[in-house]
Amino acid sequence: MNGSHLNEEGSQIDRRPIITCAGEIEVFSLIEDNLSDALPQDSHEWRRSFGRPVRSVHIGGVFVPYSPAALPKPNSWDLIRQPVFHVYWTDCSDVEIYKSSIKEDIESWLKELSSKDIVDWLIVVVENFDGKRTNKLLPRTTVLDKIRADFAPKQGDRCVSVINPGKIESRSADSWRGLVNRIRHLLLTAYAKAIYRLEEHVRQQRERRNEPSWDFMHYFSLQEELAQVLEMLQLYDEALIQYDELDALFSQFVANGITSDSVGWLSNFQKPLARWHGLKLGYSKLSNEPSLLELRAYLFAKQAHMLLLTKKVWEMASRSLPFLHTCSKELVILEVTAPPGAVDCWLFLAAMEVLVTCDKHNHAEEVEEYSLHTAGVWEYASQKIRSLGELCGLMPGDSPASEQLHMVVELSAGMGDNPGTSDSPSPTDKLKIALCSKEAFNKMYLELAELAMGTYKHIGRLRSARLVGRELASFYMLVGETQKAAAFLSDVLKTFEQDGWRELAAQTQIELAECYLKADDARKYARACAAVSAAHEIDTLIRWTYFDDMCKCVKLLKEPLIVPFNDIFKILSVYIKNEGDVMQDNDINVELLIESNFPKEILCTKVAVTLESACEFTKDSKKTQEKIFAGRLLTNKDMQSPDMILQRVKMRKNLDFKQDRQLAAAGVSSKFTELRRKSSMPQQIKENFTDCLEITNLPLAITPGLNLVRLKKQATQIGKHLLGQIIVHMGNLHFVSSTLTPRLAFEVKEEQPSLKLYKKAAPLLTGIEQNMNLILTMGSYSIDPNSKIKLITSSGLSIHTDLGAPLQNSLEIEVGTNVPFSSTKRSLRVLADAMSKDQQVTIHVPWSSKPIVVTLSFAPPLVATWKLFTVLKRKYVQITVTGQCDVDLVILGVNLNVGEMCELAEKNCVSSQIISNGSSYSYIWELSIKPDVDAVIKAEFSLVYRLLNQTGENKLFQYFFEISDYQTLYILDTVVDPSKGSEFCKIGIVCHLHLTIENNIRSNSEEAVKSIMYEVLAEQSVWAVCGRTAGVVTFESQEQFQTVVLEVMPLTSGHLPLPLVRISKYIPAESGNSDKSKKGDSHPRLEPFSPGQVYSKSKGKQLHVIANASETSQ
Amino acid sequence: MAVCAAIIGKDNSSKFFVTLNPDEELHFQYKVLSSLDIIEDKLATGTKGGADTKELYLGMLLSLETYKIYGYVTNTKIKFVIVVDSTNVVLRDNEIRSMFRKIHSEFADIVSNPFYIPGEPIISKNFTTSMKNIMTGTV
Repeated sequence: MNGSHLNEEGSQIDRRPIITCAGEIEVFSLIEDNLSDALPQDSHEWRRSFGRPVRSVHIGGVFVPYSPAALPKPNSWDLIRQPVFHVYWTDCSDVEIYKSSIKEDIESWLKELSSKDIVDWLIVVVENFDGKRTNKLLPRTTVLDKIRADFAPKQGDRCVSVINPGKIESRSADSWRGLVNRIRHLLLTAYAKAIYRLEEHVRQQRERRNEPSWDFMHYFSLQEELAQVLEMLQLYDEALIQYDELDALFSQFVANGITSDSVGWLSNFQKPLARWHGLKLGYSKLSNEPSLLELRAYLFAKQAHMLLLTKKVWEMASRSLPFLHTCSKELVILEVTAPPGAVDCWLFLAAMEVLVTCDKHNHAEEVEEYSLHTAGVWEYASQKIRSLGELCGLMPGDSPASEQLHMVVELSAGMGDNPGTSDSPSPTDKLKIALCSKEAFNKMYLELAELAMGTYKHIGRLRSARLVGRELASFYMLVGETQKAAAFLSDVLKTFEQDGWRELAAQTQIELAECYLKADDARKYARACAAVSAAHEIDTLIRWTYFDDMCKCVKLLKEPLIVPFNDIFKILSVYIKNEGDVMQDNDINVELLIESNFPKEILCTKVAVTLESACEFTKDSKKTQEKIFAGRLLTNKDMQSPDMILQRVKMRKNLDFKQDRQLAAAGVSSKFTELRRKSSMPQQIKENFTDCLEITNLPLAITPGLNLVRLKKQATQIGKHLLGQIIVHMGNLHFVSSTLTPRLAFEVKEEQPSLKLYKKAAPLLTGIEQNMNLILTMGSYSIDPNSKIKLITSSGLSIHTDLGAPLQNSLEIEVGTNVPFSSTKRSLRVLADAMSKDQQVTIHVPWSSKPIVVTLSFAPPLVATWKLFTVLKRKYVQITVTGQCDVDLVILGVNLNVGEMCELAEKNCVSSQIISNGSSYSYIWELSIKPDVDAVIKAEFSLVYRLLNQTGENKLFQYFFEISDYQTLYILDTVVDPSKGSEFCKIGIVCHLHLTIENNIRSNSEEAVKSIMYEVLAEQSVWAVCGRTAGVVTFESQEQFQTVVLEVMPLTSGHLPLPLVRISKYIPAESGNSDKSKKGDSHPRLEPFSPGQVYSKSKGKQLHVIANASETSQ
Repeated sequence: MAVCAAIIGKDNSSKFFVTLNPDEELHFQYKVLSSLDIIEDKLATGTKGGADTKELYLGMLLSLETYKIYGYVTNTKIKFVIVVDSTNVVLRDNEIRSMFRKIHSEFADIVSNPFYIPGEPIISKNFTTSMKNIMTGTV
């Protein structure tokens, strides 16, 4: 510690400050040991100029007797080897003695010091207290006081007293501590001055570095002195800075100075390399005329030492590689000649020394940190030993020639001797052994490379590890251990492929192929050849070679070899050509666009796409969550998962409200939902190729580039199918794609037969036999010809297919021979009962359990209407029949039957009557009704007809109706008279309208209506009714007539129809006495009469109106 | 003067690779690939420090006997790598930085080209020429 270090050679570099002792040396010698032990024990603050940080340092010292000759000269920079601090010791306690002798002595001592400009001194008075001394009174003045007064009136701290520490007392301990502190402080102050002067000197020297006489080695030892001082003060980091400065300075000289002539000293380092002793970390000594490597090694050893002292193992490791690179670079720049392999030897030894040192200073918590750096060093070491091995013919498959053996001897000699212990041989020992035998070399190289790879893996640098693995693989290839080589190369390949470095992957494939070829593994070789020949990155000629090799291998294959598509074939699109669903037994057509990356055409023995049933898929899809593609054209774009960068980001506004519904914050948010993890598991290649779409004309030539392949298969199984994998066979070499995702699906369907019942164009009529069509259309499959179709009709409808057969209510028809998608038509005879209207046919078909129900609507062939006519009290009934049948009907006879109520008088003439479709025919009868009869007459009209031009039975048409309210109750008569004095009615002249209502009600009639309302309904452009237009008349008992006079005015001339008058039953509003059956109407009501109840005499009458004379004259 | 420049995508696959000497391309590819390990290390430790550290320049990644490899990463994790001959002492850190900035701007131009699909390897004569110009320092 404290600057006194024993290096391995035992020499000592002591950089402790030198302290001189004057005065009574024997006093000092008593406490010298104590003092030199006590000084460095505690740290002391060191304040420095130039704003450098305050450091706390430990300082020791070397005590030498005072001699005026050894005092440094003024302005000397080299204070390190000169005394810096001076102490005068005395134990005089008597003032008188002091005055007589000591004072003079001190005076001359101080004089000598000040003559050399030395201000760093201290006077120590050692007091010896013997306990006997009775201190009644403090002496007026002590020796100390005197000294202070004499020599340091202003610097009291330059004079101290100390109680002899020989006796352990609390007082003496205190004064001792005070003394030590004082010496430390003053010593440090003095030493700091010395260091400052040294630093200044170093700086000056550095400024002169471009002068021709300047020598780096001189400067080096100077600055190293400074570093050693700092190291002594335990300021290792600052010492390191000094070494780093030296390092940088030297590097700069080498880099820049070689071109200029001013750095003559550099030529000392350009001597041919004679020794390449291994780097040694720890205490090393620089020889007098170091070579470049020795200087570098020494410098690095020093740096490493400082780093290790500050416990920065990892930094040392991190500096080692750049250091090695610098060395080899500088050897090149300085054109240092060296025997072949010598530099590599040195570099290897240095790397190994660093690694061994790292291992020695191995702290568990730092392994991670320095592994980051040692990994590279391990790799470097392995590279170096490999190049040495190549040089010396130690590689497998090589044998050293005599020249090479000679070289080994030379290299070993240059390494020098650096024996380690038997259990831990030094790197030099190891290298010597390795260079001597191939086995040792192999072992060493493999060990180092494995360590490099392991360390890289440990720190997570997989790529670097793989690259070391690649080196190892090439080594193993030389050894002939193809299996190991293949394992390393496969790992390398995997990493390259994962990272998508295609060119490197392709290159590795070639290496792998070579490896398999050497191993005589035809299957793997074929696979690697396929990969190489399909790699665009590789030169075409090489690809051709491997392609040809692959073709040769295929012929040798005895069992099928499955190779994934990877980059060999690229699927550009898959297109299901069928539109819509595929019908059963039809062909499924799929068009495949694939790109072949082979350099030449290949002949395929099979090209197919596997089919999977969808029901299996749904089971699987729960696990894998595969998507089914919606369209039928799957392109390579669909097959790639979409790139996140190119997706539109879905933004959503995001408003946060406080509790009082005030807006607290607003923003937009976007959720990345598509954080899907790629499945790292390689897709399993299923080998179920039983159900697949195939190509028909084989062999098929697949040319390099795009190929359109059409695949076909008859759809046999119904249901949803998914396209699976694409397979291309080339003999026993089977290329299989991964399953197409998203899944492309199609559905195979069957079509059922259908049965339809059609009527012909004409409407269906009751009572007439008509034909309908029964059409059976077959679906996608044929059915048993003996199966039967059963038709069941509702009652009133009978059918049959055969012409002569009697009509039936139910019918069975055989399906008969059939082919898919054919149709057969059968004629069905239909007859509905005359009175029925809606009918049903229920059809049971053999292919479905669900019956088909057909509703049929029938209409009668004739339609009849009736009407009642009145002339005063006489009644006539008219019946009109209209034909609806497209066949003409011949009327054979008509009859009206009204029962006993009244008599009938037929007014029809007898003739042959033919009613065609749409034409009508009317019949009229007069009813002789007795005046008092009021009951409803039930009439039955019947008509016998037959179809024209058709034989068969005559058919009967019947029509039933009822006649009621047929008695005439009122007879109206209206007469318009001209106004008085005029003969004619004239336009614009008011006329009188006489309305006469004759009551024809039988007196005994119960419901005789007494009150009648009349309304004049004159056409407004012809008549103007003046005054009232309506009124109510009431017939008192037995009153026959009521006459009302109204005023009307014709508006035009000519023969005008008289204004119409309508009468209605008038039911007055309820009064209190009315019976309760009426619903309490509070308003009067009107009820119309039935048409037969009112007869208007004046209907059809006209009145001649002449134009007004005055108007005409105008 | 750089001897090799590479653009590496987000997924670590090589998008663009150019070397002054085409014969050395494969050799440099191995080197650049191994530097990816260090880029990944730096990115992993970088993200821990702060979310938006604006420094895209990663500094020297690897120092080999003959080459030095420098890295730069864009905000979208596109990596640029430059390999420099280690005997070339004229090239300072600042020049490397400016080289990267130029590459970045060239790359931004390429990505802005509507005919370029992001994520695809860059195949463009113009781009190669301008990259070579940047490498040789003729720009």
